[in-house]
Amino acid sequence: MNKKRYAWIAAIALLIICGAYLYNGVLYKEARNIAEEKAAFRLSSVQLVAEYKTNMPASDSNYLNKTIEVRGKVTQVSDSLLTLDSGISCSFSKKMGADIQGKEITLKGRCIGFDELMEEVKLDQCTLID
Amino acid sequence: MLKNKLPLLTLFLLGALSANAQKYITKNGNVKFEASVPSFEEVAAESKSTSAVFETSTGDFAALTLVKGFRFKVALMEEHFNENYVESDKYPKASFKGKVDDFDASQVTTAEKTVTITGDLTLHGKTKRVSSTAKISKSGAAYKISGSFSVKPEDFGIEIPKIVSKKVADKVSVDYNFLLNKQ
Repeated sequence: MNKKRYAWIAAIALLIICGAYLYNGVLYKEARNIAEEKAAFRLSSVQLVAEYKTNMPASDSNYLNKTIEVRGKVTQVSDSLLTLDSGISCSFSKKMGADIQGKEITLKGRCIGFDELMEEVKLDQCTLID
Repeated sequence: MLKNKLPLLTLFLLGALSANAQKYITKNGNVKFEASVPSFEEVAAESKSTSAVFETSTGDFAALTLVKGFRFKVALMEEHFNENYVESDKYPKASFKGKVDDFDASQVTTAEKTVTITGDLTLHGKTKRVSSTAKISKSGAAYKISGSFSVKPEDFGIEIPKIVSKKVADKVSVDYNFLLNKQ
């Protein structure tokens, strides 16, 4: 009698755990948090742009969708977009202050590819490192 | 000989420069698409970093979106979109190249003017001609272009599996909004 009851309780508990896992872990799992991810690559903005301009397919397979850290000089600030060395366009979740213009900075973001219209590498979900 | 051609060359160069000066661009254009079906979960995403170039002397308009920049509310949906539907590792870009029909820059004012933009949309390695009703207006020195059109996933070789086909609309509606500044 007791054994049967335990088996039932165990089965129900298992079902709840599985359900919770499916719901939170698969169906509604958390999105990637780029700000907290460790960078897969660290390089200068000039180097990243040079690599993309010499071999786009290879660079795509290297960097696409990866979290990378780039260092470079801010050449343009427009709303929530920073441009590094006129070659990388980095989008942030908030508006950037104009005082950052001209400064040498390091930032982290996700590489989403090369924009041929603007001739720029694009990073999104960026955060400033220093 | 060269002396004769010099004025012509100068004129040509000046012409090229002035044509160049009529280019308007944006790097943070907004593109949204939605393929929701009533009473099912919302299927929608937004890109806030679409580039566009508008040549006001000819009406030529081009836009480019890096597909991975489309963000969904649900992470799993974004993963499926990238991995199974648009295959963004293989085809990272979506682009449009077209023209504003009968465009005349001198007729654009701060009041919205309705125009038609026609051109080629390339996505998932396939190109299709699309036509869109858009509104153009001037806002200070900038041009504002917004509009919408709809496309079918099958036209771009994107198959929606039977299992989810009820939850994804046959027609995907696309809305765009660009504020283009003089280059």
